[in-house]
Amino acid sequence: MRSPGKRAAVRVVPDNETKMQKHISEQNLKALLDRLISTGTRVIAPRVETGTLLYGPIRDASQIDLSRLPRRSAKETFFPVCEDILSYEKHGQQVTVGDVDPARFAETVLVGVRPCDAAAVPVLDAVFTWDYNDAFFLERRRKTTVIGLGCTTADDACFCTAVGLAPDSSTGSDLFLTPLKSGGYACQICSEKGERLVAAHGDLFTAADHAETVPFATPSPGNIDLKQVKSWLDHHFEDPLWDEIATRCVGCGACAFVCPACHCFDIVDEGTEKQGRRRKSWDACGFGKFTLHASGHNPRDLQPKRYRNRIMHKFKYYDDKFGQTLCTGCGRCIRICPVGIDIAAIVEDISQRS
Amino acid sequence: MSNHIDTSAYSAVTAAIRSEAARLLAGGEVSAVIGYLPARRKGSAQPAIITSADQAAELIFSPACVNNLAVYLTKAKKEVPKSGRIAITAKSCDMRALAGLIGESQLQRSDIHIIGLPCPGVLSSVADPSALLTTDTVASKCLECEFNLPQGADFTPVVNVTAPRGPSRYAAEIARLEAMTPAERWSFWKAQFSKCIRCYACRQVCPFCYCEQCMCDRNRPQMVETTPRPAGNLAWHIIRAIHLSGRCAGCAECERVCPMDIPLNLLNRKMARELKELYDYEAGFEPQEKGPLNSYLEKDDQSFIK
Repeated sequence: MRSPGKRAAVRVVPDNETKMQKHISEQNLKALLDRLISTGTRVIAPRVETGTLLYGPIRDASQIDLSRLPRRSAKETFFPVCEDILSYEKHGQQVTVGDVDPARFAETVLVGVRPCDAAAVPVLDAVFTWDYNDAFFLERRRKTTVIGLGCTTADDACFCTAVGLAPDSSTGSDLFLTPLKSGGYACQICSEKGERLVAAHGDLFTAADHAETVPFATPSPGNIDLKQVKSWLDHHFEDPLWDEIATRCVGCGACAFVCPACHCFDIVDEGTEKQGRRRKSWDACGFGKFTLHASGHNPRDLQPKRYRNRIMHKFKYYDDKFGQTLCTGCGRCIRICPVGIDIAAIVEDISQRS
Repeated sequence: MSNHIDTSAYSAVTAAIRSEAARLLAGGEVSAVIGYLPARRKGSAQPAIITSADQAAELIFSPACVNNLAVYLTKAKKEVPKSGRIAITAKSCDMRALAGLIGESQLQRSDIHIIGLPCPGVLSSVADPSALLTTDTVASKCLECEFNLPQGADFTPVVNVTAPRGPSRYAAEIARLEAMTPAERWSFWKAQFSKCIRCYACRQVCPFCYCEQCMCDRNRPQMVETTPRPAGNLAWHIIRAIHLSGRCAGCAECERVCPMDIPLNLLNRKMARELKELYDYEAGFEPQEKGPLNSYLEKDDQSFIK
């Protein structure tokens, strides 16, 4: 098996090598973003779009809103909600197929990414380089520099610390910002990409002094042991637990769509006989038609089987295949589930059963 | 200005539904009770289907008990046992959905035992289930609720509730939209629908979206584009609004669950107004087999046919 993330991997500077610290004022961070935008770099940041905080391209730095976790994760920077993968046209008997050229994707700086979102990106590298190298994902990945932001507040849906992360995890970030008590940020350089960005705009950064950082958040999830969770899942493909949870589930795709790690997608042709496009868009295991075969058979025909897939995929299958957990504890699915399904509570329950 | 809402009634309602549910289950009058149980997060609640009298002691009613549980009695929920009588706890807004489902022959009144919930109002969102219930955090539907004490239930605890009253947010927003030019209104909805990710949470929680085969899921032939793009998103939301006209009784679950904050109930409320003006009809008060859009009368207004 190919090592996870090999194709897109950015060399992470080992802790003892540099882990260089710089400082950047709030004003200079905005100046940096404005400068990047003016020189043609696409800057993606949390900003309010028709009333909802989402990661998206900004026109200028004043739009940025770092006050809270955006409603959807940052995965869409690399794996958009919907994208064209080819186009076709038919003239008489002549059919022309047009490919999408990933080379046209813009150089991007993704800024204000919370640790739970940033850490999900290397997790996704594994699947997008597994049996097929997804050129769309990988090219966006190659062209994107991630500026992470540590969390100083958490609510009771946050559980990153239960899945091996923390409000100060720089995993997946090229630069990592920590708010300073006196304003501005401490900026940790975590990769060559980050180093290049700082070097190109050195005038906006200052040497790190001993300014105090704002204390990181302390999420307080229940007692979850991922090894125990996995060992229970290894032996409970059939269990009444799946019925108990899924009787409540109404079968929408909200949890998967706000998740930083869920990556199922559907491919459909849309258009007419004369012309159209093949599109790839997010899919979700909550849907009744998820894994419906052309024969009419569906191996996951009932909600309990689909919900089981959700938990198994995150805490067993992904671990079996890639040695990683497909959950970063952001808590989004807990906050938005229409019927209050709480994955942290479920995983805690499973952990206690082992 | 934000005012606190008196929530002292919740504990009395909780005690009453516990004893009623225990009585029903112990005596075998029902096979299950659909209600709310407390969940892990502070102040949170979640729907539950309980089958033993012991579990009845855990049932609750609180400002976080937002769900319209009627959805669990529809065809859409194949996992819920349909054998025997089932009890369901229902706020008055939820009871209007039950009346609609009975009218549409999805339920038999004799198959359900309704435990009415006297309700001072519920939260508009449970993103923070521990939020204090105030005139700001209360669901918009509650500000215009006229029936805090459910009518026609099999059992309703005798508890006095004070209703949160306030200016209707829906009426104000509909008035604002109606004052717009069609181009402005179009750009409002275009921006809202562009956020739609087609998670179908609005469809899945709706008690009236019980079609075995939603036309939006059809692919042979495809009726509506399935990708989250302008064409398919607009088609889906128009189909939803039209299909619910004269049936939606305003529980506003679609709007509450939308992860993208699309004000979906505005469409439903606007359509409800049209039905009221054109046919003097309001959904969900009497079980009625056919609403005005499913029936034809000689005296129907035909002036729109040109």
